[in-house]
This record gives sequence, structure tokens and C-alpha cells, in this order.
Amino acid sequence: MSSTPVPPDGDAAADGSTTDPVAEPVTIQGHWDFGYTYFAGASASRFFNELRLNQRIMGTHCPTCDRVLVPARGFCDACYVEIDEWREVGTEGTLDSFTILTTSFPGLPEPPTVVGYVTLDGASTALLNAVHGIDLHDFDEAGALLLTQPRVRVVFSDKCEGRITDFAFELVAADA
Amino acid sequence: MRATRPNDDEEVDVQRVYVHGTAVSSSWADGSASLTDLIFRCVRRALDDARMPVGDLEAVVLAAHDLVDGRSLTNMITAPAAAAFLKDETRLGDDGAAAFVLGDARIRSGSVRTCLVAAWGRASEGPADDIARALFDPFTTRPLGMTEIGVSGLRASRALIEHPEYAEHRAAAATRRGEVEGAAGRIPAAAWPLRDTELPIWGDVVSAVVLSSEPGPVEVLGAGMSTEPFELGDRDLTGLPALRSAGEQALREARRSIDEVDVLEIDALTMFDEALALEAVGATGSGRGMEALALDPRLDPAGARSVGYCAPAMGLTRIARAVQRVREGDGALALASGSSVVAAQTQAAVVLGRAEGHDTTHGRSCR
Repeated sequence: MSSTPVPPDGDAAADGSTTDPVAEPVTIQGHWDFGYTYFAGASASRFFNELRLNQRIMGTHCPTCDRVLVPARGFCDACYVEIDEWREVGTEGTLDSFTILTTSFPGLPEPPTVVGYVTLDGASTALLNAVHGIDLHDFDEAGALLLTQPRVRVVFSDKCEGRITDFAFELVAADA
Repeated sequence: MRATRPNDDEEVDVQRVYVHGTAVSSSWADGSASLTDLIFRCVRRALDDARMPVGDLEAVVLAAHDLVDGRSLTNMITAPAAAAFLKDETRLGDDGAAAFVLGDARIRSGSVRTCLVAAWGRASEGPADDIARALFDPFTTRPLGMTEIGVSGLRASRALIEHPEYAEHRAAAATRRGEVEGAAGRIPAAAWPLRDTELPIWGDVVSAVVLSSEPGPVEVLGAGMSTEPFELGDRDLTGLPALRSAGEQALREARRSIDEVDVLEIDALTMFDEALALEAVGATGSGRGMEALALDPRLDPAGARSVGYCAPAMGLTRIARAVQRVREGDGALALASGSSVVAAQTQAAVVLGRAEGHDTTHGRSCR
């Protein structure tokens, strides 16, 4: 290999780029498409199976901090103790926070969609899920309604599969 | 120098640490440079700024994300470009500010005398939304289309509920951030209530900082780190307790109060995140974060926004910017922080002070 610099064959363009084909930037396309099998573990499995089989939302109670953690889990990370006392929480709660998502992902419902964190009655932590039944023709109008922190209730799908998408929230006042 | 341990307040002897050089590079989809080219050039500039031969470097701490870089075990490819060849190297999958704290700790402990810290992210190479979604839990949040911007939308709605006064100042705060030429195609899809002008502008960002126990223009006076739960439903989305804790640790170690700080470089993804972060570090009162973004002279919102945004480079970028501002005389005491994915779960904060009697004008942070 020569150690002598090789002058470019082409001329420099007015914008400073070169017409030298040897200097043309090379790009390639890359794509990661691996399959994973995620193990939910005993506590989360029971949480999802309760959704599928019994249409119940379950939490686990930490005896140290007295919180009911939803979704259920096998340990309290704040107190750092194992927990296995199961409690069913309510199917109504208050919308703590929300956003209107506008990003599209394959396999997910077409945006715009509303998702929100809801602290269900009897729970100490909030649970994220879709909020259905909101008129999204005017985001500002929809947002103004949701900023009032309305009460919402859980509505289960007709066919539950043991997934977080087995249920969604809808406004309690929608048909009140 | 004496430092105080967090749990028992016992004082221990530690080495003093100084920032000798910084560099930040910002670009977008520059086909003439590979990722390793970008890293090499920025680190080279930081070493030049420090006037430090690479042979004098004893340790390197690097922050990078495989998903962002699109390379499994990305540091295998990128570390040599960051001056890690035959060096004591630490690889971190966290924000660059956390890497800075680890680099600071290596010197403070006396293990090494010099350390380079570098962080990078090249948003133009990968799909930012897909990467952001992949960070979330596959059982509970990923199926709902959650992304980092989505969490910021959640945080923004919560902020508007708790602090209606945010609405009064958000337009002025956005104006102060300024427009960035040619950025239209680099702004992510908004999540209501966020607006386009409140969002980051994706960028190809590399940051590098050179630390040494030898006296230099800016001293690292304190550092802190803290972590929140992974579950977003467990978190105080607006209180940002990890940032509050990290900031308190850093200020306590520096034996300074937030009232003495005259340069603020607080990393956050969106404008609402930044407003809440200012409250968390105590730079302003509850509900006044957005007003501070609009008016507070300790902030330079346009400077931070002009660099562009890509995790995990931004915390170190804020630190480099704080060093630059102290060098240029914006102030004598700076607080800088960096927040990690997912949704600012981990926070690192540092206090930087102008070293008395040292020439602060040599070298420049460069872009």
C-alpha cells in the first residue's frame, strides 16, 4: 500500500462536496429483528392470569410500607423485602396523568390514542393503560377535559388473553 | 480535600479533581464521518483543549447505548476511538453525567491521576421512536406504545394539573429556547400536551471531558447520583426525587447551597421536564420552573437546544457547557446534571467551581 496521499480524481463542487467517486460516502442499511421470549415470573404471571381468567386486577401488599403495588410484583423495591400477600383492587380510579400519543407503531392501534396512569381504588401505585371513548377531533378540547382528572373505570375486552391490553379505562361520566 | 459520606456523614480524605478540557461536537447525518470518526475527532479536541498527550491519560470512562449505536456491545467498536487503547477503561450503559461521576471518583479515590470521560449518541443512524419504545417493559408499557416523549407527555399533563401557572409561561420559555435552523425534520412527534417547540431536536452528539488531579481552570466540587423505581406508576413524575437527591448530594459534598449557584445546566428531554427539573434541584420554587425557563439568567436554554439531543450524550454535554460558561465568566459556580433512560430514572449531578488563580481562558470548548 502506498503511503503517498492520492489526489482526488474529481473536482470540488461549489458547496465543498467532491465529485470524486472514490470519496463518495458509503452507507448500508441495518435491521435488528430478533425474537425474544420474556418470562414474566410467578407474580406477574398471576397478575396477567387473573386478568384473563377472572377479570380482576390484583396487587401485592408490602407489610413494611403498607403499600398495595399494582401491577403485582414479588418484591417491594423501596423496602427491599419479598411480598406475597395478594389483594384485589377496585375497578375505578382517578386519572393521575395522561398523554395523547401520535406516534405509529406496527401492531398497535393507529394514533392518536390516549394513555393514562390511573391509581385504582385500593391501590398505592398507578397503572398505565389506554383511555377509550375520548373524542380526539380537537386535542386541546380533549386535553382540557382530561386535565380535570376525571374518574375512570376499567373495561375488560370481550376476549382476555392475559395481556395488559385485556382492559382499558373509560370515563365514568361517559354514560352517567 | 475532605468529602462526606452520605449515610454516616463521616469525613474522608479524597483527591481534588479538575476539568482540564472539554469538547462537544454536534452534527446531523454527516456521511463523510463514521461514528468512530465523530468520537475520535471530539475526544482529540478535548485532549487538545486540555493540552494533554494521550500517553498521560490513565483511565477512560465511556457512556454509550447499544440500541442507539445500532451495534451490539458498541464499546468494542467505539472505545479505541475514544482513546481507550491499552487504558483502564470503564464502560457504562447510562448517561454521560453518570460516567463523569465515575471518572471523578476514579481520581478522587487516588486510583488514577487523569481520566477521560466521553459519551455519544447518533440519532441520525437509528429510529429514535422505535429505540425509545424498546426501552420499556415488554409486559406493561411497551404494548401501549409508550416512548420517552410519551412519558414526557404524561409528566407535562401532571405538571399542568399541579401547576396551572406553567401554561402562562410556556410560550415565553419556548421563545427563549429559540429556533434552530434546518431542524424541522429532526423534531419527534409530539405527545399532547407537548408542542413542537417544547421538544428536543435529534442530533448526532459527542461529548468529552478531560479530568485530572492537577490543578486546572475548573474544579469538580461535588457529585451525586440517585435512582428511582423502574415502574413509572410508582414514581413521582413531577417531583423527580432522584434528581433532588443527586443535586443535594452534590451540593452537600461541595459545601455550597443552591443559592450560590450562578450557572445552571440541567439536562432534560423536553421543556416541561426541564422546568420540573429546575424545581427539583431547588433552583426555583414549586410551580415556578416554567417561569424560570423563560426568565432566569442562570440558564442558557438556547445553548443547550442548539447542540441537539441524543441519549446518552446529553448529561456530559451539559457538564461541558457548564465548564465552558464558567471559563467564559458567566459565573463562578455551576450545577449541571444528566438524566438517563428510562424516563430519567437515574440522575447524576455535579457542582463545578472556577479554580482561583488559574487561567480559565486557555482552550475552548468546541462545536
